[in-house]
Amino acid sequence: NDVDKKYKAALEYYEKGDYYRANQLLEQVMPLMTGREEAEQARFYYANTHYQQREYMLSAFQFRTFYETYPRSEKAEEAMFLQAKSLYNDSPDFEQDQTSTITAMESIQEFLVRYPNSEYAAEANTMFETLSAKLDQKAFESARLYYKLHYYKSAVVAFTNFLRENPSSPYSEQASYLRIDAQYRFALESVPDKQQERFMEAVDFYQSFIDQYPDSRFLRSAEQVYSSTQSELEKLKKNNPSNS
Amino acid sequence: SQVLKNPQQNNTVDYAQPKQYRLGGIEFTGIKFLDPASLTAVTGLKVGDEITVPGEDISRAIQKLWDQGILGDVDVYVTRVEGNQIFLNFDLKERPRLSRFEFSGINKTQQDALREKINLIRGKVVTDAVLSSTRNVIRKYYAEKSYLNAKINIVQKPDSLLPNSVVLNINIDKGDKVKIAEIAFEGNEAFTDKKLRRQLKKTKEKRYYKIFTSSKFQRSEYENDKQLLLDFYSTEGYRDAVIVSDTVYNISEDRLAVRITVDEGDRYYYRNISWNGNYLYDDAYLTRVLGIEKGDVYNKQELDKRLNYNPAGVDVSALYQNDGYLFFNIDPVEVKVEGDSIDIEMRVSEGPQATISKVNVTGNTKTSDHVVLREIRTLPGQKYSREDLIRSRNELANLGYFDPETIGLNPIPNPAEGTVDINYTVSERPNDQISLSGGWGGPIGAVGTVGLTLNNFSTRKLFNLSEWRPLPSGDGQRLALNVQANGKFYQSYSLSFTEPWLGGRKPNALTVSLFKTIRRDSRSEIDSRLNVDGASVSLGRRLQWPDNFFQLSHSLGYNRYTLKNFRLFGDFDNGSSNSISLNNTLARVSIDNPTFPRRGSQISLSVNLTPPYSLFTEKRNNYEYVEFNKWMFDASWFMNLAGNLVLNTRAHFGFLGKYSSKTSIGPFERFRLGGSGLGGQNIFVGTDYIGLRGYDDESVIDTADPTLASTGGIAYNKFVLEARQLISPNPGATIYGLAFLEAGNNFGSYDRYNPFRLYRSGGVGVRIFMAAFGLLGFDYGWRFDDLPGQPNAKRGQFHFMIGQQLR
Repeated sequence: NDVDKKYKAALEYYEKGDYYRANQLLEQVMPLMTGREEAEQARFYYANTHYQQREYMLSAFQFRTFYETYPRSEKAEEAMFLQAKSLYNDSPDFEQDQTSTITAMESIQEFLVRYPNSEYAAEANTMFETLSAKLDQKAFESARLYYKLHYYKSAVVAFTNFLRENPSSPYSEQASYLRIDAQYRFALESVPDKQQERFMEAVDFYQSFIDQYPDSRFLRSAEQVYSSTQSELEKLKKNNPSNS
Repeated sequence: SQVLKNPQQNNTVDYAQPKQYRLGGIEFTGIKFLDPASLTAVTGLKVGDEITVPGEDISRAIQKLWDQGILGDVDVYVTRVEGNQIFLNFDLKERPRLSRFEFSGINKTQQDALREKINLIRGKVVTDAVLSSTRNVIRKYYAEKSYLNAKINIVQKPDSLLPNSVVLNINIDKGDKVKIAEIAFEGNEAFTDKKLRRQLKKTKEKRYYKIFTSSKFQRSEYENDKQLLLDFYSTEGYRDAVIVSDTVYNISEDRLAVRITVDEGDRYYYRNISWNGNYLYDDAYLTRVLGIEKGDVYNKQELDKRLNYNPAGVDVSALYQNDGYLFFNIDPVEVKVEGDSIDIEMRVSEGPQATISKVNVTGNTKTSDHVVLREIRTLPGQKYSREDLIRSRNELANLGYFDPETIGLNPIPNPAEGTVDINYTVSERPNDQISLSGGWGGPIGAVGTVGLTLNNFSTRKLFNLSEWRPLPSGDGQRLALNVQANGKFYQSYSLSFTEPWLGGRKPNALTVSLFKTIRRDSRSEIDSRLNVDGASVSLGRRLQWPDNFFQLSHSLGYNRYTLKNFRLFGDFDNGSSNSISLNNTLARVSIDNPTFPRRGSQISLSVNLTPPYSLFTEKRNNYEYVEFNKWMFDASWFMNLAGNLVLNTRAHFGFLGKYSSKTSIGPFERFRLGGSGLGGQNIFVGTDYIGLRGYDDESVIDTADPTLASTGGIAYNKFVLEARQLISPNPGATIYGLAFLEAGNNFGSYDRYNPFRLYRSGGVGVRIFMAAFGLLGFDYGWRFDDLPGQPNAKRGQFHFMIGQQLR
């Protein structure tokens, strides 16, 4: 029942790297240590034992409590960084819900604003970029799903949304190409009345694609779609000369 | 509230003019157990800081100290000011901390429940506010349980182990449960007291014959019930009805009385209904859809339902909202009230059509995006449709991966662009099932079963260990493994795998399954055994015609029976038998929720055919190549009677036929009717086990002939009427009760077939759906008829069910 003895034992386990035992002991003594000098250190170690055990949800919460309680501590900067990193590690694959990714990005930004010259700044920036690329990939894959399902009209809308919201993403080039292809296929399966207009739209998409990515790796495929579009338009003109 | 003037000092702090100082020093007074250095750390202040007095810094320091929850009072004084240096004194009051608390006078369950509710944190200080809020929480907890006279006494004792700490002893005397003895009404002329009492859903009188009715008095429920009473009046046309006064008083220590005085007002009727602002549809058409006529009783709720959302039929909004008119709005205005007649003008604003722009899903922490998105019927670029939205909700619920009660649909319109984004929110629920059971399998003795069903499996992630959380999941594939054995005499292994979207482009489900069973005769001296091995491949697809609720599936199956000195049927005891069959099923499924359907139907017609060998060749016996054709029809229909009460009506038929008049129908694929329908551990694969509650397992057949009774029938039919009441919608354990009437019969030959000659039964039961175990059920059935040859069998019996019964 001795608080000091337990705390000492906890520190020993912590030094040895037995984070599970250290965590159990710290959890017991922490409420009774509030207001004492060692409370600060105890709280940081407690958060870190969760982090070391890959319990990132808990470590994020505990690191946050730490730097909110002891904003002037020497460890505050590290705690804030580790909170962000906990959230970063907790962020799921792009195919799942990204709510925690967004929270992680917010924390990283908060950290960078607070400690712009931190020794962790470079790592924080890399983390931020990784997460942001993940969100891009999610948005791109959701749009591409409609393409895969052959819902071409929906794919065009989804790719257009994607390009508007992520103009400089690594996926923009592919999205821009797939949009031409989706539009072409959408026009192809449309009723004759609408075809002319829809093929013309594909031409528009092609033009904006080559303006933006003149050396694209999709250039060849895009050109093929473009020439197919042209021949379809010619066919339409032949069948219905009055209409153009 | 910031810096107090130190009475010994004459330098005043001017609140009108905050001043910048450098912090020269901080001291703490009034502390006995706390450490000044760590308190300084908590305040966030540091000697040498620039601070403004009065200002933010000190407020924040006080707040931080308070947040620690270890202090009873915090005062801040200025000790002295030297030049621009300021010295502060924090005068604190320590309070005893809570070391632990205990309850007395109540049982363990309630202690645990209260422990969850009360907000007592060990290590925090005990203040009056903490004590009184604890008292309030406990009082509220007991008031909800109708212990209105509960007495709570909290005693503080110093803790002998820790300095400056107290132990709280919370003593509770629940007293008697208070019940409602009488509910009386005054001022009611149109309706009787009895009718009005029935409108109060949770506030009921105590009567000895009402065993299932609770007559607790709960304030919040009572307030709710008063509103229900007014709602009732309003649905009957009394739109001015008010409760003039109501009183609740004690008539004895444990009995209350409730008296409600109402003023009913007049009853109103509709007169003229006119439409304004409608361009798409004309007045007459809208009036017809609305379905309210001149002279009908004025009922605001019904009107709103018919205008905005009518789960049971058409409504005016549906006309518009299923065709993109998301911004459609209708406002019924009472333009004239004359005597008891009301004229209504419907002010319609049609607005532009909205196109769907983005479709988002959140909350899928396990399931991959594409698995969810491919089921959703609101697609980017389409016109908004409320019907599609609701259909998508049902499709998501039917996946079984998400809690059906909490699927959220949230259209976010963007009027400037004329578009709408649709956000779906889901919450995952565990849906992998592990079964471990032991049972008594009739002739073969004890049988143990180990089963594992993974309903949201991912083979793609199988080789990526970082995706094992704890198993590779999220791609919507289904993997089931099952092993049953009782050692040497009976073993059964089965494996099945389903990919619901073969190729990822269309919802064509591919299922592959394999099984093997080995059965040895325990009583025989010589080696006597039956092996059944089988494999099947099936492909199911959704159809667009006649409507998109239809599904068609084909399944090719091969079973091989190998017998060695095993008398399976009459003259067949050695050799092997092959069964190749093609099963085609056409089904229409439109239920809204797989665990507890409230509305919708399920109809299926299935035809299972073997090649007609006997038409081409001179077949020697019926066993070498099994030959049959089998027709099954099942229909199930759900109707929501009220709230969580659902009526399920079912009809089932099955017929087994032959191809040539020269042969007779063989022993395979026959029907066995009666009992729970669990199939006696499924020993013989080529048999259909169908339940009929109230009768012994597999006992129902329309003859007393013992050979036929043991082989099974060739035609059966069964009809069920079942009322279900949802008791707990909790997705972890969905529970519903049921009462049923059913009737069925099983026939050994077509000469005797008569769909109206039935064995009837009735009974009650309960079903529990637990995510980890699937559906478990317990029914008590009572038979109304005697089976031929067994008039003295017992009439009532219990049935235990595992899994969702199809028939």
